[in-house]
Amino acid sequence: MAELTAFSEPSPFGVPSRKLGIWMFIVADSATFAALLFAYGYVRVANPDWTRPFAIWPTIVNGIVMTVVLLSSSLTVIAAVLAAQSGRKTTALRWLGATMLLGTLFAALHLREWVAMIGDGWRLFRNPLGGAPLVGATFFSITGLHLLHVIIGVVVIGVIALGYKRGRFDPGHLETTGLYWHFVDLVWMFVFPLVYLMNVR
Amino acid sequence: MKRYVVVWLGLLAIVALEVVLTLAHLRTGVQLAGLLVLAIIEAGLGLMYFMHLRYERRSFTWSLILAVVITVLLMDHFWLDAFRLLHQRLSAP
Repeated sequence: MAELTAFSEPSPFGVPSRKLGIWMFIVADSATFAALLFAYGYVRVANPDWTRPFAIWPTIVNGIVMTVVLLSSSLTVIAAVLAAQSGRKTTALRWLGATMLLGTLFAALHLREWVAMIGDGWRLFRNPLGGAPLVGATFFSITGLHLLHVIIGVVVIGVIALGYKRGRFDPGHLETTGLYWHFVDLVWMFVFPLVYLMNVR
Repeated sequence: MKRYVVVWLGLLAIVALEVVLTLAHLRTGVQLAGLLVLAIIEAGLGLMYFMHLRYERRSFTWSLILAVVITVLLMDHFWLDAFRLLHQRLSAP
């Protein structure tokens, strides 16, 4: 009986353990991205020959489109969660599909940019403009880790949508997945100004 | 949903401001400070509204925010070494 009483004790933070778990992950992952951005700042400060490789067209315009796409995907995931919470399953699934489409579009735009840069001679440790070779290393590692998060997010949303359609997952699962997706968006809010805009010629 | 659309529009406006700030070709330090302030405002809006921290218990919200803020503050001591390297290079023959 004592065990049962302990089991029904309310959460000290007023959130289900699943939600607490994803928040713990978000805090830990924030530290990972913060460390990468600090490392980028470190090598940038320490290298007076740092080059600013990006032109407004096409890189920054492409970055603005990517930002709008990602911000819009945050809105569609909210629409999915709200629809699921009010029991509109088909609508929720449609919004999840829209989120996956936007996430895929973001990844495609990003990969197109990478391919163009690699075509221009950029490598992890090679700068075709002749400045600090670490420009490529910081750019590809930070945007690469973020891109990995986007791709994982699209796959996870697909798995959750399928499970939700089959009745294995509930709106709470959609909310938890939505939190992860918003976090990916949140990281981009720092990557775009610091890695792209701070490197405009 | 209307509230979220308003926040989304606000976030888009901040992105536009960031681009305008960049096009102004300010000094690097000023540009960095401006972009960081705008990014923090953006992140705050995202956290409070999109991620619903505004509607969670304060103890929960502050536990999360403080954990990230303290971690980021602790990383700041690396700047000293970055500037040491910069000065070393500049003074080299």
